[in-house]
Amino acid sequence: MTFRFFGTRLASLVALLLVLSVVLFVLQEISATDAAAATLGPTASPEAIAAERARLGLDGPPVGRYLDYLGGLFTGDLGTSFRTKRPVTEDIGSYLPATLELVLFAFLLALLLALLFALSSTLRWRGAGALRGLLFVSSTAPTFLLGIFFLIVFYQQLDWLPANGRASGGAATDGPTGLLVVDGLLAGDPAASVDALRHLLLPALALAVGPALAIGRVFRSSLRTTLDAEYVRTARAKGLGERAIVVRHVARNSVNAALSMTGLQIGFMFAGVLVVESVFSWPGLGSYLGASIPVSDFPAVAGVTFVLGAVYIVANTAADVLQGVADPRVAV
Amino acid sequence: MLDTQPATPESAAPTAEAPDTPVATLRDLRVSLSRDGTSSEVLRGVDLDIRPGEVLGLVGESGSGKSVLALALLGLLPAGSAPRVAGQLRVAGVDMVNGAEEERRLARRESLGVVFQDPMTSLNPTMRVGQQVVEAAGSADEAIRLLRAVGVPEPERRMRAFPHELSGGLRQRVMIAMAIAGGPRLIVADEPTTALDVTVQSQVLGVLRRLSDDLGCGVLMITHDLGVAGQIADRIAVMYRGRLAEVGPTRRVLNEPRHPYTLGLLASRLDFDTDRDSPLRTLVPEPAGGAAVAGCAYHPRCPLAVDRCHAELPGLPELPVRPEHSAACFRAEESRDRLLEIAHREAAAADAAKPTGPAEPAEPVVGDATAVEREDRPARPGVVLATTELECRFTVRDRRGRKAPLAALRGVTLDIEAGESLALVGESGSGKSTLLRVLAGLQKATGGGITGPTGGAVQMVFQDAGASLTPWLTVRELLTERLRRPRLDRAERHRRVVAALDSVGLPEATLDARPAELSGGQRQRVALARATIVPPRVLLCDEPTSALDVSLAAHVLNLIQRLRAELGMTVVFVTHDLSVARIIGDRIAVMYLGRLVEIGSADELVADPRHPYTRALLSAVPGLDVELPTIEGEPASPLAPPSGCAYHPRCPVATEECADTLTGIQLVPIGPRPPGPARTAPPSARRAVACVHRGEI
Repeated sequence: MTFRFFGTRLASLVALLLVLSVVLFVLQEISATDAAAATLGPTASPEAIAAERARLGLDGPPVGRYLDYLGGLFTGDLGTSFRTKRPVTEDIGSYLPATLELVLFAFLLALLLALLFALSSTLRWRGAGALRGLLFVSSTAPTFLLGIFFLIVFYQQLDWLPANGRASGGAATDGPTGLLVVDGLLAGDPAASVDALRHLLLPALALAVGPALAIGRVFRSSLRTTLDAEYVRTARAKGLGERAIVVRHVARNSVNAALSMTGLQIGFMFAGVLVVESVFSWPGLGSYLGASIPVSDFPAVAGVTFVLGAVYIVANTAADVLQGVADPRVAV
Repeated sequence: MLDTQPATPESAAPTAEAPDTPVATLRDLRVSLSRDGTSSEVLRGVDLDIRPGEVLGLVGESGSGKSVLALALLGLLPAGSAPRVAGQLRVAGVDMVNGAEEERRLARRESLGVVFQDPMTSLNPTMRVGQQVVEAAGSADEAIRLLRAVGVPEPERRMRAFPHELSGGLRQRVMIAMAIAGGPRLIVADEPTTALDVTVQSQVLGVLRRLSDDLGCGVLMITHDLGVAGQIADRIAVMYRGRLAEVGPTRRVLNEPRHPYTLGLLASRLDFDTDRDSPLRTLVPEPAGGAAVAGCAYHPRCPLAVDRCHAELPGLPELPVRPEHSAACFRAEESRDRLLEIAHREAAAADAAKPTGPAEPAEPVVGDATAVEREDRPARPGVVLATTELECRFTVRDRRGRKAPLAALRGVTLDIEAGESLALVGESGSGKSTLLRVLAGLQKATGGGITGPTGGAVQMVFQDAGASLTPWLTVRELLTERLRRPRLDRAERHRRVVAALDSVGLPEATLDARPAELSGGQRQRVALARATIVPPRVLLCDEPTSALDVSLAAHVLNLIQRLRAELGMTVVFVTHDLSVARIIGDRIAVMYLGRLVEIGSADELVADPRHPYTRALLSAVPGLDVELPTIEGEPASPLAPPSGCAYHPRCPVATEECADTLTGIQLVPIGPRPPGPARTAPPSARRAVACVHRGEI
């Protein structure tokens, strides 16, 4: 693990974020929407629009406007939403925690399922085949179909779990973290946490199944390859027990391919969450985006895109760095 | 003496058994493994005892079952191959066939040690070597003591290294340290030196021999090379197709072998006395398919086979008046004399047929005293390939992951004459393969000059024929590919392809096979056919025989010699093995860390090596009657070559001037030693050495 290894990963992280900002700026430039006209509404006079353009700095040279945009990104200014007339940053701030909580929970669920999937078949656990089959069948369905199926079975038929929203009786989103499960615990109200968890379970499961299978399959195949490795034979020859072999020699050497797949899947989960949110009426970024796209609210769309893109880049960089931690030969 | 006694007195504790009770007992051991649903018997009834304190050399070619025997001893037969085991196998009192899994695991932990072939893949790449030794040794102190005992310098520091940060020799020493942890009663070493350089090989063999003597444990030394077994084994067991062919004390088996297979193996072994001028003695190739045969498995290849051999399976009886020496052959009593007779007849026939044999060795150009000082001269007439101060640098990552310049070639000046065959010899990191790739035009030189043909006129044959043939093309497609340029009609093309196959001794039926369906030897033949179907001016060979069994290697070497004579090609042959170099090369060039250190005609160089490194290499070649040599150190890293003569840190005769930057790195012509004082005698033109002492010490 070297300083240089971290340095290059950090540099490429920054470079990718810059590329993302350029792409978003160019899209904004070539889109048909005129920010000034959109801000003032359809009744505004051409003079008023021209004045607004000057005020917004829209008539300067593109490079200058890009630098303004970039400066805005750095100071957390993503522009003003045409639709809500509020700063996009504020809007995202109020919707992001819901999405974050859902994705985080779904991510943990996906990791757990992936681990079960991989280990159960590698260590030949009983019932492993059934688990794998179930996961396999579920993952063939599109996410929204899976969501609707869960609703029908667990809400409509069995009535075990709630169907929509983040909490019963309206979400109290004024906690310190915005994550209801955590806030409930912090506030000494475990009942609220359990309630939030019950709301989380179905959408998170719908979101987790696909990534779980993708990560699990990669992890399983590298576990199998590693189990046949000569150094595992050496470990057996030393007379180590099977558990020590898997934990000490196999797991760490198998985790790399799974890590890069995990980085990719986090990105897909943020894309998938938009669909799941609308199925489960989840008050997150998906519903915000869903409301913004039809009215061509470009600042809002670009802001959400930037945030999701940044999360994707950071997640993959983290996966990269973890690979270096797992395998000293990568960290050069 | 090094401290090799185990810290805990466990192994010294009295056991219920008598001191000379075998540590491993095999009785009629049979193992079947299945592959793709078909089961085949890999071990077909093996009886063997391994005694405490002895080194037993188990020798056999690939497919003989020797590695399966090792895994069976460890109770580690691959579960994926659905092994079925019959017979008796006890190791240190534990039944490794029917014993409980936990019992067998404890036997591995307490009584067994293993050294596998490739220490790079056999060590966990993501775990520090110290931790890996601790797993076997129990504590860090004990691990350090073990590392010191096997000759790892600065063990405290090495504990924190990852395997990829160590050299090959050090890695294998780490493996051995793990093997001897806890004072095992048996060490199984499966080709422990095959992946190592020759000079390092002798060191590792020395460590194993010493440990066996000091710890009193038995060692099962598995190898394909009778020479290696001869150097450290007390007894040798020769294995063929899952059965023992011959067992006996080392000297007896090597000097008075009684099984025709052992005799064949010994005869196809190369050493410095092998006749260079006639084709190498070869074994009859193994029949294709490898299907089970009735009777003695060797009979299809055996020159002495009689009817009885086809029908009956010979036992392994002790030979009369030869205690401890047994051979599984009905004709063991007469085999040696009969085989010698046959050998003489063959030799006579070969002598008679000599004109069609390999090309006569090129005449040394006597009197051309300036032949090696050719820095200022362009390629002369008769020279097909010439390099001048050739340099080749790469940027690589060093063991710590930093970018570092690597000088693979550091000024190589070499003339290769038309029609000659030059053997390039060196250990890993010597630059021999890089030089070959530059000659082939596969790699750009970064300095110096090179003149010679390019493109189709230069063809290359690689070490791993399997990997160098495109797997999804048939042999026909692989060969026709090279006939694109001259517009040939279909029939003519077919004729050429069949002729090329025939010239390498492959039947027409091979045409529609894909590489995976061929054996290693056949693949190397296809590679040769592909290289020579349009006769090249220069054939470059990169260790084409080092992955092959001895008997196959001899076939391929003969083939290269014959093709060279028939097609009038120039051959440049890279090898790490001086005995192979001597057979194939008219001249031998020895490389060390990117420079030529000695060059000369094959006979002269082997008979009278002048560079200390050449001498070390020669002494390291395992021979049947050669003691283990003591060679210091390992090849230095090409990332940080020592100053001056790169060999000086390992050199027994180095003086201060050897470290000087500019001395001893130029090849200086030298005369043959016997006639007259070295300085005044007319230097043999093609003999030169890069040593300040000129081999006078």
